[in-house]
Amino acid sequence: MTHLVTNLMTTVLMQSSTDPALAAGEGPTPKTFWLPEGASTFAETNDWVFNFINYINYFFFFLVVGLMFYFVWKYRQKGREVYARGPSHNTVLELGWTIIPTLIVVVIFFIGFRGFVSMKTVPANAYQIDVTALRYGWVFKYPNGATSEDLYVPAGKPVKLVMRSEDVLHSLYIRDFRVKQDVVPGRYTTMWFQADNPTGQNEKGEDKFHHLFCTEFCGVGHSNMNRKVYVLNEMDFNEWVVEQGRWLDKIPAEELYSKAGPKLFARCAGCHTLDGKAGTGPSWGNYDGSGNIWERTASATSTHKVDGKSISELIGQGKKYENPESYLRASILNPNDHIVEGYGPAMPTFRGQLNDKAIDALIGMMRHLDEFDAKGNFVGKK
Amino acid sequence: MTTLDTRPIHDEVPGNYLTFRRGLLSWLLTLDHKRIGVMYLVAVLVSFFVGGVMALLVRTKLLWPGEVSWMTADEYNKAFTLHGAIMVFLVIIPSIPGALGNFVLPIMLGAKDVAFPRLNLFSFYLWVLGAACAVYSLLAGGFDTGWTFYTPYSSQFGAGGTIPVLVGVFILGFSSIFTGVNFIVTIHKLRPPGMTWFRMPLFLWALYATAVIQVLATPVLGITVAMLVIERAFNIGIFDPAMGGDPVLFQHFFWFYSHPAVYIMILPGMGIISEIIAVHSHRHIFGFRFIAFSSIAIAIFSFLVWGHHMFTSGQSPLMNVLFSAITFSVAIPSAVKVFNWLATLYKGSISLNTAMWYGLAFIFLFTIGGLTGIPLAVLSTDIHLHDTYFVVAHFHYVMMGSALIAMIGGLHHWWPKMFGVMFNETWGKIACALVFIGFNMTFFTQFMLGSQGMPRRYYLYQPEFQIYHHISTGGSYIMGLGFLITAIYLIHSLFAGKKAPANPWGGASLEWQCTSPPPHDNFATTPRVGDCYDFSAVSWDEKKQGYVVDAEAHVAAAHHGKGH
Repeated sequence: MTHLVTNLMTTVLMQSSTDPALAAGEGPTPKTFWLPEGASTFAETNDWVFNFINYINYFFFFLVVGLMFYFVWKYRQKGREVYARGPSHNTVLELGWTIIPTLIVVVIFFIGFRGFVSMKTVPANAYQIDVTALRYGWVFKYPNGATSEDLYVPAGKPVKLVMRSEDVLHSLYIRDFRVKQDVVPGRYTTMWFQADNPTGQNEKGEDKFHHLFCTEFCGVGHSNMNRKVYVLNEMDFNEWVVEQGRWLDKIPAEELYSKAGPKLFARCAGCHTLDGKAGTGPSWGNYDGSGNIWERTASATSTHKVDGKSISELIGQGKKYENPESYLRASILNPNDHIVEGYGPAMPTFRGQLNDKAIDALIGMMRHLDEFDAKGNFVGKK
Repeated sequence: MTTLDTRPIHDEVPGNYLTFRRGLLSWLLTLDHKRIGVMYLVAVLVSFFVGGVMALLVRTKLLWPGEVSWMTADEYNKAFTLHGAIMVFLVIIPSIPGALGNFVLPIMLGAKDVAFPRLNLFSFYLWVLGAACAVYSLLAGGFDTGWTFYTPYSSQFGAGGTIPVLVGVFILGFSSIFTGVNFIVTIHKLRPPGMTWFRMPLFLWALYATAVIQVLATPVLGITVAMLVIERAFNIGIFDPAMGGDPVLFQHFFWFYSHPAVYIMILPGMGIISEIIAVHSHRHIFGFRFIAFSSIAIAIFSFLVWGHHMFTSGQSPLMNVLFSAITFSVAIPSAVKVFNWLATLYKGSISLNTAMWYGLAFIFLFTIGGLTGIPLAVLSTDIHLHDTYFVVAHFHYVMMGSALIAMIGGLHHWWPKMFGVMFNETWGKIACALVFIGFNMTFFTQFMLGSQGMPRRYYLYQPEFQIYHHISTGGSYIMGLGFLITAIYLIHSLFAGKKAPANPWGGASLEWQCTSPPPHDNFATTPRVGDCYDFSAVSWDEKKQGYVVDAEAHVAAAHHGKGH
């Protein structure tokens, strides 16, 4: 019996891997009666499983319903004849229709299991994009710090999404890729996929895209939380991501701290609060009675302690840092040169990640901290 | 006998339970299982109407892909939440055990009542109290969390009526537990001499298996909603990560109840179908033991598969694999039942009454509902289908197309017994056909919507899905018409229906051997029992315009092992 199962499974599994539709590079599979366009490497295998189950289901559905109609017609009551002498049991038959379906579902389980394992095994060379979900939108962040609201991915390369939520449960679903993963506040979830074909343009010259849906109910804007997925060939993608990373350059100087500040601060917010509450690093707000980050750094009589002494011993004419701006810049680029009392050397350097303009924006935000709310949103002068 | 109403009996007309005592109080304070069953029936059908209106509102909105002036996104969310919560907690879970089970169970056992009549009435009033909480929650701002109450949405955001409705769910849970306890004790203690477990009607096996789940699983729901209320009211972090809780833990707790609850809903329906198919085929049910044990197997397995609702939730891949594997174990006993019902039709003498139409509709719809569960239990395909309309279609085929259709079928099967009148068979079949066609139009299109990638709980949708939504909404109107006709001819039959014989369909179980409607005490003496699926002693009586069971021959046949 076990032999039969193994044989059956091998046959089925072999068939799945030698299916001609699986040959790569044929372009997305077209929309069918049941399934939408298939545009990732998972689509091909998963659609095969779906169709395989469907054929089994058609067979059993027509068997059951066909027999039902046939029996109802054939054995319809004639007159008031009541007592019908049908058999009341048949052990072999009953064991048969218990065991055969069991074998079939065992096979089906293994096929689905196989597909699932590959969906959960992220290739080591996957291109990582960080995803933040919040009511009712998505922030996709690329390795160079560029961010976007729609998702852009390179073609022909495994892409890994590391996802977190700012508020409630969300779920990221790209139907044409056949992938879905809940985004859970308080933890990171991951998923990966590989789309081989660039989305390109339609006849009218408009960019084509795949739909991205939120599939975990998150409130009144739930059905608005859908965005677009563009697949670009690798060259176009690299160009796009660099261009996207230059978003700072497009902001006028006078709006730099108010517009770019909050966006950049989002990267600091994991460790630094704005309202004096404790975090991995010292709050930007007033937490030790010496004022907020700008006040305690700029004041000549600051009681703020760094390296065991007053911070004012470090800053000023003839001292290590000529002005507070220099000290703050150094704290971002070489954060562990000076350690604030009560904290450890935990901050990574942002050298190479934040350019001068970004540091300008952050220092500007520190100088105007009273124009921001506790979450870092710009609210203007009070 | 057993009644809180202690007024002396003088002006009543004895005869049957409906005329035993008169006046509103004689109903409200009754301890008679039949009257409590009828009160449940009225309550459940009123709730079904309200939940149905919500469904039609939701379906009507979905005719348009964009915003509509008469229903905002917030109202839409509240409407589908209300639809789901009403249908699950107020309709399907109590419908068959509370209404039909209460009425039929003691009579099938030849008993005068359930084991604990006062607990039974208390159960009903807990239902009323739970329903009142739900109504109050509407006044307090409604609730918009979906019937699943997922955290942290429900603890941080959900509308103002969230706590009242959770309290309602908590209370309804106790109503369900008490009914379960009552049925378990009744079945253990009040079976008449000669009714061994394997002579017990399959409807009672199903109610027994259901009662076990109700007693074991429902407390988890109670604790879960209590913790959610505590979190929401007192900001004690249990599920909300902002306060140190874990939202996935809530899903585990919730589905630990709510998956077994699926079987609380469907198992009694399967029991009814076993009765309907056997009685209207006039032949012994095929494979009694397989059907009986499959109910128990389903009850046991139902506790081990909750994680299949959470394949995309972030639970560990190993858990996903285990839950997927175990899930298939539930498929087998369900398939066994379908094959056994089919084999019961084989060589039967099938009378196509309205109840039998519903029985056959059940087999058709449950087969689709069951088979479409397979791609949802398979890991790789579920990732695509999870939280889409495919899931919506699947559980409507099981919860409505199967559980509720069985309930309506059972209502037609036992209607003459309950009220002593016959309904109009022609209108019955017309309505059944409308419901069947409308149902398939509504929900089969949703399989396509889902596999094409339309997420559930969406107020706005892509225009490409509109054609499916049009067919679906059209189907829901046809279904609504079918139910409206059903309500009309059933109510009409109460006033103008032909008097029902004791045994209109030719059943051999005990409830067909007392009058229609039954007397207050059901049976004057404890009846003797034969094999309830042995129809050899059943014959048509022209004078009574009904079937009669030759009790002597029936019992004798059972003792000689005949009729198999």
